Amino acid sequence: MIISGVHSIRMQKNPCCVKLSVQPSRGLVDEKFSILVQNTPPGFQVTVHALHHSEDGHDWEAFAHYTANNTGTVNVSEDPSLGGTYSGVEQMGLLWSLRPVPGNKPWLRMRKMNVQTPMEVTISVYQGHQTEGFTDQAPLAGVVVERWYMAPGVRRVPITEEGLTATLFLPSGPGPFPALIDLWGGGGQLVESRASLLASHGIAALALDYLTPKITVETGKMVENEYFEKAYKVLEQHPQVLGSRIAMLGISFGAVMTFKFAVYSEVIKLSCAVSVSGSHVQPIDGSVKQIFDYLIKNAGNTRINEENQTIWRDLLLPIPTDPAFKVDVGRLKCPLMLVVGEDDQNFPAPESAKDIKEMMERAGNSHLLTVLSYPNAGHLIEPPYTPHVRATNFVTVGSRQKVVALWGGEMVAHSRAQEDAWRKLLVFLRENLYGTNLGATSLSHLQRKFHLCDGCSVQTVSSTESKLQTRKSSL
Amino acid sequence: MFRVHAVVISVLQNAVLRMVPCVRISKNLACCRRAVGGVRWKSSHGLAPLLTASPVRALIDEKISIKGSFLPPHCAVTLCARMHSEDGDLWESFAHFNTKADGTFHLTRDDSVGGSYLGCDPMGLFWGLQPAPGEREGLRLRKKSVETPYVVRISLMEGHVSPREDQSTELAALTTERWYMAPGVRRIEIRQNGLVGTLFLPPGRGPFPAMLDLWGIGGGLVEYRSALFASRGYASLSLAYFGHKDLPGPQNQMNVGDSYFKTAFQLLQDHHQVCANRIGIIGTSFGVYLTLQLATQTGVKPSCLICINGPVGNGFRHQEADSDGMDGRVLSSVKYWTCDDQGNVSFKIFSSPENMIPESKVKVEDVACPLMYIEGMDDLSFSSKENVDLIKETLDTVGKSHLFTHLSYPGAGHLIEPPYAPNTRMSLWRVKPNKLFVQWGGHHAQHAAAQADSWKKILDFMEKHLR
Repeated sequence: MIISGVHSIRMQKNPCCVKLSVQPSRGLVDEKFSILVQNTPPGFQVTVHALHHSEDGHDWEAFAHYTANNTGTVNVSEDPSLGGTYSGVEQMGLLWSLRPVPGNKPWLRMRKMNVQTPMEVTISVYQGHQTEGFTDQAPLAGVVVERWYMAPGVRRVPITEEGLTATLFLPSGPGPFPALIDLWGGGGQLVESRASLLASHGIAALALDYLTPKITVETGKMVENEYFEKAYKVLEQHPQVLGSRIAMLGISFGAVMTFKFAVYSEVIKLSCAVSVSGSHVQPIDGSVKQIFDYLIKNAGNTRINEENQTIWRDLLLPIPTDPAFKVDVGRLKCPLMLVVGEDDQNFPAPESAKDIKEMMERAGNSHLLTVLSYPNAGHLIEPPYTPHVRATNFVTVGSRQKVVALWGGEMVAHSRAQEDAWRKLLVFLRENLYGTNLGATSLSHLQRKFHLCDGCSVQTVSSTESKLQTRKSSL
Repeated sequence: MFRVHAVVISVLQNAVLRMVPCVRISKNLACCRRAVGGVRWKSSHGLAPLLTASPVRALIDEKISIKGSFLPPHCAVTLCARMHSEDGDLWESFAHFNTKADGTFHLTRDDSVGGSYLGCDPMGLFWGLQPAPGEREGLRLRKKSVETPYVVRISLMEGHVSPREDQSTELAALTTERWYMAPGVRRIEIRQNGLVGTLFLPPGRGPFPAMLDLWGIGGGLVEYRSALFASRGYASLSLAYFGHKDLPGPQNQMNVGDSYFKTAFQLLQDHHQVCANRIGIIGTSFGVYLTLQLATQTGVKPSCLICINGPVGNGFRHQEADSDGMDGRVLSSVKYWTCDDQGNVSFKIFSSPENMIPESKVKVEDVACPLMYIEGMDDLSFSSKENVDLIKETLDTVGKSHLFTHLSYPGAGHLIEPPYAPNTRMSLWRVKPNKLFVQWGGHHAQHAAAQADSWKKILDFMEKHLR
């Protein structure tokens, strides 16, 4: 119980008594930490605060209000936040609720492009329940926490042969390792954050820039199928890669590519495929340029909302009935996982997932399909504990036009979705790339691993349910 | 060729250890190797098992959880840890496991059935590290540069083997980092007011409670414990007083006196990021004498004292560094250590209270703050027991027993240090004119348990009296 007047006690008499500890102080980006505040007076009010200076020079902060218990302790993993940038019991809320500090330009996105250095976050505890002016006052205590994309021993190998623009991340150890091709979306660039994390979990991962590689920048021409096939062959022939265990993971436009190669490629033979916020709608077996042009052709379906944010989900709607415009997933021979945010404003991922399920049921290969569908999650379902952003500045490759793209998602539900999806993605990849039970048994095996109900191939994860599941199992 | 692993299983229950000796002899190659029906997993399945650990970057006193998966069920595996010291010596350890029916093993759940330690101990691979066969003798693992981590490679091997086995049976591996400094901790060299030391400050503005950290007559400047204290929220000053090039006078003698240590204490008190009335002192070995001597000086009011395996007197009078003439003791003389005919050095006689000049003994009765004494009952180098008994008796006599906490650990040796680092039972003391060794004592498993338990109690003691 809060003793009235206690929260007005100043710490002047004994300024060094409050202790703040965060464990681990050096963690991987997807690892949980525990924050403990100790030695306050019973019932003392504190604000726990996180501050991060991003790679592109902006300050992001999060904070939460707590009341110490009768032993003078606040345990962020167990105690409810009474307000701030998140509320309730949220062990990792200080990271996923980070937002640009007031005064910054709007519509920022936090991305770590250099994965060889950690993200540094300063966690502090302040007296009282505060909402602003943190940098102007002395905290009661503070620690610095590092969040790493690369585990020690993970090797980062730039790949430039065969005209590729890619980076291979090899796990620690002798190998050989199962591998994965990692594809990002329509913004292009070589994004290494996910591949480096996957290598930290034992999967050799190739981050592949296929929209803005050196060769496209120099020639002005988009890459053809051969580019992806070369990437696949580089992996397949690598002495530290198990050539028979290669997967593909794509988000957004990268997922569009993933469907194409998973079904139509004669060269690329995948052990499994993952689409995050993707769509199977495209001119079948079209080139990258043809598929891109198909999207642009439908640009008239772009909507702008009241806040002047651009909604692109209708560019791939309605789901066509003409089979020439959707990847024939009935022909898929390897396990497929779909990760879908039901509030995706950028791609019609939920509609596409529904159609994929129907196609696969008709074709008789739906036992290969796992769908993770998250209410109130948006388009950018990325590795967990990085901040959710509902809309950000965006420039699509090929266009000079800067827009504010609406991605969708509500912060809490989206953050839970990221955590749950990442955990299940790792299980899916490990079961298919490391395990001996392949193909038909993979789904029931996965269900046991996910703790899903029997007979469910589609899982709609409510936000409370995923919170429970996330609490139960560790990453 | 035999390598004897003398492993003692001990169970720490309420600070009382029950010893169950178990000796395992493992021949270099054949007899305890059990490959899975002779078939190698990689070639038959084209697969490799998965080895994971969390956290992969940890502070030295943090536990790491290591797991293996995607292995065949009920099969024999070996985990091997290897690292190089800063001097380039190879240290290694290993443990034998049998996977469960689901093809996994977890070090937090499963027993090691052979190797450097037995039973369930997730940190056994770390405290069980020993110099690899063929390395120099009498090595001690001590981190000089605390700004970089120890890098320990953990390998998973087929069958129950020793690290000397054929390297090609390595199935998986991972790399862990073991740090003495948390991110944001600041390391500041102190060369002022005649002092030679290193100050570690936690991240943030403070002010912080503080510790003065004193080591033994090995001399030099030992930083790793201070770095850890700062990583736990305490400002901490490691102080050199002997055998350091920046100290005045010949390096083979102690040229500083009481005022030197008082100056160090005052530096902490005056520091704007230190809580002046929340300073403790910790001393190991000869540092215990220095701790007690400083604590009983006028004008010095520490909040608590921690003493590990050290004496209450110094066996001889010492001079103030600022008096005329440097009549310092020549510490390389045999006055304070004895040597048997096998070249084993001991400080038992020098550190025994009955051999001390009365004037050289600290006035323990003047101690005015809580005092914790940590004793390794297998300390072969110092007369720790006699000293702790004397301290206890003295404090009892003057009605101060409520200030005194005594932790004694059966099977622990002299070098009780932060946890999960290997014990050194014997190390090189001197090379010329002849090789001499010190027997520090300590049976590895019991010593490891003592380090883990005492460190926790040290931090709790500091919490209680410094916050």
